[in-house]
Amino acid sequence: MTDHGAASNATGALLDKATVLVRWLLGGVFLYFGLVKAWHPVDFLKLVRQYDVFEGPPFLNLVAICLPWLEAFCGLLLLAGVAVRGTAVTLVCMLAPLTLLVLHRAWLLSEANGVPFCAIKFNCGCGAGEVFVCPKLVENLALIGFGCWVSRRRDHRFCLRSRLIPPAA
Amino acid sequence: MRVAKSVGFEAAVVFVAGMAVALLANALSPLGLRLDRDYFPRVETTKNPAVANAAVSPAKGGANPVVERLRQRGLQAVDTKAVAESFRDPKYLEERIVFVDSREDAPYQAGHIPGAWQFDHYHPERHLAEVVPACLVAEHVVVYCQGGDCEDSEFAAVHLHGAGIPLETLHVYVGGLDEWSREKLPLEIGSRGSQRFQEVRR
Repeated sequence: MTDHGAASNATGALLDKATVLVRWLLGGVFLYFGLVKAWHPVDFLKLVRQYDVFEGPPFLNLVAICLPWLEAFCGLLLLAGVAVRGTAVTLVCMLAPLTLLVLHRAWLLSEANGVPFCAIKFNCGCGAGEVFVCPKLVENLALIGFGCWVSRRRDHRFCLRSRLIPPAA
Repeated sequence: MRVAKSVGFEAAVVFVAGMAVALLANALSPLGLRLDRDYFPRVETTKNPAVANAAVSPAKGGANPVVERLRQRGLQAVDTKAVAESFRDPKYLEERIVFVDSREDAPYQAGHIPGAWQFDHYHPERHLAEVVPACLVAEHVVVYCQGGDCEDSEFAAVHLHGAGIPLETLHVYVGGLDEWSREKLPLEIGSRGSQRFQEVRR
């Protein structure tokens, strides 16, 4: 094996390990915050309502019911390594619009109260209580980035069933 | 392209399975929400003549946005002074003045206005059978929650109206338990009628 090949293998192995860690981190974060929200459905319902996106039943209630459990479910799948890429895509597709909603809500609060954007602190319904908006947005962007990374990696280690559909021979 | 299709299919399967798990977990959970229930009901202002024709609201202070919001929702607001007077009124002992606490179990158990009925309108089936008869015989019903941004007392009042309590008798205590505690007024701990009171330090 050439030096170049050995270095490439070492980098690949490192990336594999990093991907496992990122996947577990992502899974743990979503499982935890999903369960926190699922445990307090009424509180989460009130928080979803504050965004003024969904008017009354059944859509408002459906979002408040499903989002926490869906997050926890996806978190569990990532931790166990089941349908890894599809799960990561699902999480990114959920998190990206939610991040835009948080941004929009914080912008409105900033305008209404005449407070600098990064000084806005509110409970965004993310599961961590009242948070400052700028660190929250950075955190969400990082999670979206991690999700994209996991969804782009073809091979995943320590998985129960990384793909639902086995690759064609 | 084939890989993208396969990942997309996987994502769709995960989404559908996740939604199914969510609906099942919600159905099995005692804390679960109902899909069809309007948890944030409103009444029209014109339905309550006490509000529609009121020149001055009992809570005085037209500039207060909460009082204005209540007026728009057809509800009467009361302040701490009025609520404390109701609490000391002999009619309270005769149960012609009734207090309704619209918070969840934990904060209710931690401390409520003595003798207040609990009515968590997010889970009405737990309390409605006891609260409605008590409110029906009362001349004056004061509904409260924690105070501040809390809107639960408003929705609970609307819910009680839906259960047959006349709007004229329903009053929303805007300051809620935060203001009640700040004024060092008595608090009952545990369930209604427990006769365990929080020590009041003056």
